[in-house]
Amino acid sequence: MRNDVLADIFRKSLLTRVFEDRFVKLAMEGVVPPLLHPGAGQEVAQIAAIAALKDDDPVLYAHRGTGYMIARGVSMRAMLADCAGRAGGTNNGKGGIMHVVDTSKGIFGESGTLGGGLVISVGMGMAVKKKKTGQVVVHFFGDGGSNRGTFHESLNWAAVQKLPCVYICENNGWAVSVPVSESTAVENIADRAHGYGIPGVIVDGADPAAVMDAVRTAAERARSGQGPTLIEIKAIRLRGHYATDPQDYRADAAEVAKNDPLETLRARVISMGLMTEAEVETLLTECEAEVQQAVEEMQASPPLSPEAAFEDVMV
Amino acid sequence: MRTITYAKALNEALDESLQADEDVIIYGCDVGRWGGIFKITGGLQTKYGADRVFDSPISENVLVGAGVGAAVMGLRPVVELQFADFLITAGDEVFFKAGMWRFMHGGAFKVPMVLRLPSGETGAGPEHSACPEAYVMHSPGLLCCVPSTPADAKSLLKQAIQSDNPVMFFEHRRLYQQRGEIDDDAPLIPFGKAAIRREGRHVTIVAWQMMLNRALKAAETLAEEGIEVEIIDPRTLAPFDFDTILTSVKKTGACLVVEEGYRRLGVGAEIGARLFEEALPYLDRPFRRLAIPDVPISSIPALVNRIIPTVDQIVATVREMAA
Repeated sequence: MRNDVLADIFRKSLLTRVFEDRFVKLAMEGVVPPLLHPGAGQEVAQIAAIAALKDDDPVLYAHRGTGYMIARGVSMRAMLADCAGRAGGTNNGKGGIMHVVDTSKGIFGESGTLGGGLVISVGMGMAVKKKKTGQVVVHFFGDGGSNRGTFHESLNWAAVQKLPCVYICENNGWAVSVPVSESTAVENIADRAHGYGIPGVIVDGADPAAVMDAVRTAAERARSGQGPTLIEIKAIRLRGHYATDPQDYRADAAEVAKNDPLETLRARVISMGLMTEAEVETLLTECEAEVQQAVEEMQASPPLSPEAAFEDVMV
Repeated sequence: MRTITYAKALNEALDESLQADEDVIIYGCDVGRWGGIFKITGGLQTKYGADRVFDSPISENVLVGAGVGAAVMGLRPVVELQFADFLITAGDEVFFKAGMWRFMHGGAFKVPMVLRLPSGETGAGPEHSACPEAYVMHSPGLLCCVPSTPADAKSLLKQAIQSDNPVMFFEHRRLYQQRGEIDDDAPLIPFGKAAIRREGRHVTIVAWQMMLNRALKAAETLAEEGIEVEIIDPRTLAPFDFDTILTSVKKTGACLVVEEGYRRLGVGAEIGARLFEEALPYLDRPFRRLAIPDVPISSIPALVNRIIPTVDQIVATVREMAA
């Protein structure tokens, strides 16, 4: 793995963490609704996965975290505006943080019903295959979403059609308050790939090189017409289900926090000599300033007209 | 002018749409090799190839959801669900994805897809017999066609495929073999424009598809008794041409809706509510509905015929209204 790529993944992961922590603060202050599902603990893997793709490969993201958007350079000001009901957002106030969209950056949105995007990805795969664009459709979802019937219908039909799709399940062990051991019959979500005759791959979400390798291999396979791959990222969820979730159902939070992939990556970047401690501190300050500027710009934007409620229903 | 069946009209609309636009694709259960269980897509796979007309697994959620995804990426998918009832099976994809994907992403996408929904009683039991168009009319973001004649079926289906919005297209199975005249040079019928199928001055009847046929028959009997009904076929339920009904009701002062859907909160309930809001001064008799009473539709003809509005019921109801 190239050092500059690793450093970029670290920089974007740190920016994501700072952005989301600020978002949670804004939610506590009542500036935005607490609807962000923080991706802390999963951002390194999200950003590494995106780094293995081409910039125009369409992405349908999971509901947890904003690493996908930060990786593709979606405006933080616009995402905040979506949530705060201000002008200049990506979805005109219609979808908040759950439905951030920027097709110019390959960000194609998210389903409000979890696992609901899987079916959309199949049609997107059919379209890019028919139009021979050479793109790969990448769909992220959680272990919870993988228990929807849409998972079965979508992976089966995508495999039958050998669609250029990559399915990435971020298994963080929790579907809201229910541990995966109580909701899911198999130990690994990737084991289900056997049921569709496609490769099932497991990677450690704290290892960006492993994530990149797995996604690159899957994308090459998809691009060459061999069909989809199911990748399972073993991830951890550092925060609650939503921004202000007290997580009183959970006993493992303190233990999990010791294995923060961002901390692991930070130590690695320093030990490899890519950055000094001081440079990481400077980077953190820069990220905070960038987020602060996004917040200020969002707050300077006018509120959306309530009449926007009637717009964007149909062409 | 030539005469063709409703089924042939639909097949021609699909054929000509595939011919005109490379982005049109057709898929669904059995639509490829077999030409569909009701034979509407017959011959199309042979003519256009299996990459444009193809079979699918029995997976209603992904059938509809993939239609949304393909539409978002620039195709114009025409998806067949074998029975209109399966609209509910694919409820997330119909109502949330087709109906709201554009809206919740702030207009970032167009969703030019058509969902073909063969509807109406076939004796196949409660999950294969309904006319569930009221669900669509109730829900934002969806267009809804209910063609009653071969000419309308062809024109509205072509229009639906050209539309940049998602269209729920209800085809009535009992009409598939019905023949009618078609003018190949006529312009496409716009959505939201009702047709007056018979002019009259005593009572306005709103009906479509099989109930339109029954209303037209009832009108002949009533005419012999000196009762002249005006019959309006809405052709599309979303958008809905209320103005044509309003104009008629101003003339007749009375309105009956005959529908094959369930009565409670059905299309008739909506029309009645709007008349109450906007036309009360013109109504000199109570608004009436004939619909399927709120029980499931069974598979035995004697039981089915007991609950679907009949010609005799229409005649009797209009007589009461005209008295």
